[in-house]
Amino acid sequence: MKNSQRVVRLFISLLFIGLLDFNKVHAQNTADCDCFVKGVVKDRETNLPIVGAVLTIKNTSKVATTDTEGHYKFDRLCQGNYVLECKIIGYKTTRTPIELQHSAEENLNLSEDEVHLQDVEIVARRVTSLTQPSGSLQNQSLEQTRGQTLAEALQKIVGVTMLQTGASIAKPVIHGLHSNRILIINNGIRQEGQQWGSEHAPEIDPFIAKRLSVVKGAAGVRYGSDAIGGVILVEPAELPYTTSSLRGELNTVGFTNGRTGVLSGTIEGRLNKWKGFGWRVQGTLKNGGNIRTPDYFLANTGVREQNFSAAAGYRSLKLGAEVFYSQFHTNLGIFSGSHIGSTSDLLNVIQNGEPFIKADFNRAIERPNQLVNHDLLKIKAYRQFSGHRLSLTLGRQYNQRAEYDLHGPQAALKPALLFRITTLTGDVVWEHKPIAKEITGQIGFSGLHQYNFTDGRPLIPDFEQSNAGAFVIERWIRQKWEWEAGLRYDMRWLQVYRFIGQTLDQQNHQFNSWSGTVGCVFNANSHLSVRANFGTGWRPPSVNELYSKGVHHGAAAYEEGDETLRPETAYNFMGTVEYTSERFRAEIGLYHNFIQNFIYLKPQSEPILTIRGAFPYFKYVQTNATFSGADLTSEWNITQRWEHTAKISYLRAYDQAGGDYLVAIPANRVENGLRFKIGKVIHSHDSFISIGHLWVDQQKRVPPNSDFMPPPSAYHLWSIQVGGDIILTEKQKITWGITGQNLLDTAYRDYLNRFRYYSLEQGRNFSVRLKWIF
Amino acid sequence: MKPTHSLLTLTLALTITAVIWSCGTNEAPAPEDENELITTVRLTFTENGTTAPLKFEWKDLDGDGGNAPTTSRITLKASRSYKVDVEFLDESKTPTDNITDEVREEGDEHLVVLTPTPSSLFTYMATDKDSRNFPIGLSGTVATGSINQGSLRVQLRHQPPVNGQPVKNGTVAPGSDDVNITFDVVVAP
Repeated sequence: MKNSQRVVRLFISLLFIGLLDFNKVHAQNTADCDCFVKGVVKDRETNLPIVGAVLTIKNTSKVATTDTEGHYKFDRLCQGNYVLECKIIGYKTTRTPIELQHSAEENLNLSEDEVHLQDVEIVARRVTSLTQPSGSLQNQSLEQTRGQTLAEALQKIVGVTMLQTGASIAKPVIHGLHSNRILIINNGIRQEGQQWGSEHAPEIDPFIAKRLSVVKGAAGVRYGSDAIGGVILVEPAELPYTTSSLRGELNTVGFTNGRTGVLSGTIEGRLNKWKGFGWRVQGTLKNGGNIRTPDYFLANTGVREQNFSAAAGYRSLKLGAEVFYSQFHTNLGIFSGSHIGSTSDLLNVIQNGEPFIKADFNRAIERPNQLVNHDLLKIKAYRQFSGHRLSLTLGRQYNQRAEYDLHGPQAALKPALLFRITTLTGDVVWEHKPIAKEITGQIGFSGLHQYNFTDGRPLIPDFEQSNAGAFVIERWIRQKWEWEAGLRYDMRWLQVYRFIGQTLDQQNHQFNSWSGTVGCVFNANSHLSVRANFGTGWRPPSVNELYSKGVHHGAAAYEEGDETLRPETAYNFMGTVEYTSERFRAEIGLYHNFIQNFIYLKPQSEPILTIRGAFPYFKYVQTNATFSGADLTSEWNITQRWEHTAKISYLRAYDQAGGDYLVAIPANRVENGLRFKIGKVIHSHDSFISIGHLWVDQQKRVPPNSDFMPPPSAYHLWSIQVGGDIILTEKQKITWGITGQNLLDTAYRDYLNRFRYYSLEQGRNFSVRLKWIF
Repeated sequence: MKPTHSLLTLTLALTITAVIWSCGTNEAPAPEDENELITTVRLTFTENGTTAPLKFEWKDLDGDGGNAPTTSRITLKASRSYKVDVEFLDESKTPTDNITDEVREEGDEHLVVLTPTPSSLFTYMATDKDSRNFPIGLSGTVATGSINQGSLRVQLRHQPPVNGQPVKNGTVAPGSDDVNITFDVVVAP
């Protein structure tokens, strides 16, 4: 029935086109089914041709594969609209709409071939997992987050929220998990700072990234231990190995709230003398002052940031090498009103309803503050031989975190806490030649060595640790099915050096575990695909969970570690259904993450009496926890100009052994956006205006008496965005954008802000963004 | 072929550099240094007209956690006047670190508050002043009421300037607690 309808429709449209063309182009009406599509398939990152990609034109029987140079060609196609699908193992399947219809008048002078020929270049993206749910920000969606922190930007991805410590510090949360339970891969290197701390923001300049993506759920096989909640990938653009001239971009962003200014520039080029050599230099400056809530300024919430990176590399068809160096430096002011010495200080602030400390706008950053430096050196090399690819990645990171307390008559210049952590990483990955053109895969080994020094007040001891892991992942694509399976084994050796009185005491720990993943994609038809994945991951207890002992300032809690803790193991089930049609796209993802030996802080019945009064007493204990939820996104092109997007995320976390909810779980939320494409206005092309609404529910699923105050109420936030492109010359362009956040200046608090006890969230904030590409 | 060779050499050289570089940075772990620990609060009451001071101490020698703090009970005579001195010590250090002097030096951002419960237990009046003429509270006078018993809260409030503006105003509200402890008090005949 359907096929016959389609044939009829095609016939009518062909007839129609034929009739239109009849009077104008006599010679062509016989050539309606003589159209060509040709092009090349390339890897988005390496820009190298992809050999053996399978291309199909949906709803036809036509199939083509790419040759050794990545070229493909379809001929004898009739005029009409088609969908070109490109599939290859290890890459995300792309579907490109093509229009094989010529505009007769404009094409009159063209030769027949050109009229009927469409050149489609497909840029395929290598994916970390075909079967696991993921989300990403790039191009315009990334553009709109420029100037924000990494965590703020990632919030645009459904299922990702953030954990804040006041207005200046934010960490990403994936499906309710954060800190040590998610991994950040910065330019291919596992980011190693002091992730365990909830007030330790990722030390990454988002301007480095051309693309920010999130792999949701346990991804232990490819990335190793700790990736039990998900992985964040910060991916820079490929070095300009092929473009001939110098190019770059300059970004400027200004925010009204905090009067924050951001300036970021990139210059890149290639060496003309030596073919295949490319380089890039990039830097960012940020300066912000006190943030304003609807009712008052937050004292000492300024921020300074100076970041710099440089990269150089060589690439040929056979081999390539790259060196990357980056420096991140920040000075973060911590809201003065959040400083408490005792539980009664905290209860007084909560009772007061607003901070005791009032301030005006000020840029000065005083104590308490954090001075954080992160250096990364990366060396990567690869070689391709007869279909195989061998790559080696080495990284050295040095992270220095100095935390200055408001406290103390004695600490004149010394930080109250100083962490210095050095991490060396090495990875070798061998991607083998496809077996029977259907199975591809990779085998890899990774190693890590790390040492940490902590000076100042007792918090965590000095330690040294080494990791070793080996993994294999294989992928098989056959017709409508794509399968994926992987296995990994990891070992970690941890040596802890602590002082009991003045005597050094060494403790040794060893942890090891298997991880596995299996998943499949079923592409039912061009509209519908179903993905399912089961993955496991593990996380050895971190040093703070094993050894911390002391009052957590700001949290008003006495926290005590347990050296007998065992690793956590996550078992993660994920299912995704994706529907795509010309004007509507929707994706529903369901997940259930069971974490065995989940480590959390359990309140103890007796408080701890200290010189600053009694503090609630918490101990790190283990339980079995479940994180179940759903992520839903949809994009609907209502008309040519109007577009609606929706995002819903739902999460329920439960302590199975304790029979109660877990604390600090993000509340459920619904986000709606309506966009109107204005098109060309004066000199601005592709202009648009969009309105957004976010509703965040109150977190009602909390254990009784687990907090100093009940979780904050639900809130609504409105936002607006306007933007477009101004084309200056062929190579120069200015992208502009104006954003208004919290338009109605709503006074609200968020459950996942650790400073919710002390103050409201940020008020209205307008920002202007200009990006000049040259 | 030449670029290939030189490139491999370069990669190798960089690798070796990275490895060597990583080995030279080891240092020995050092003990922690809690540079602002207060282990002991000592109250010295001297009855007017006498020279025998009465000393009462609140002590937590191993800092937060570990062994519980010890407190002595304050016993005073009813309807008398005392001179009182407050001292803050770090007895975990050898020799003992006396923090009282630093509190006095930074008197502009510190306030010692003595709060008896019930308030009829005694009245307290600070006799020392900071540069802005607000009390510091390290020295003062106590006039006891009639026979009674209750408690005494001793707070050391740290009230540093915010954005360069002093916040100390003689009241307890600004700032945060550096010390917040409670003694049992008996006012006996």
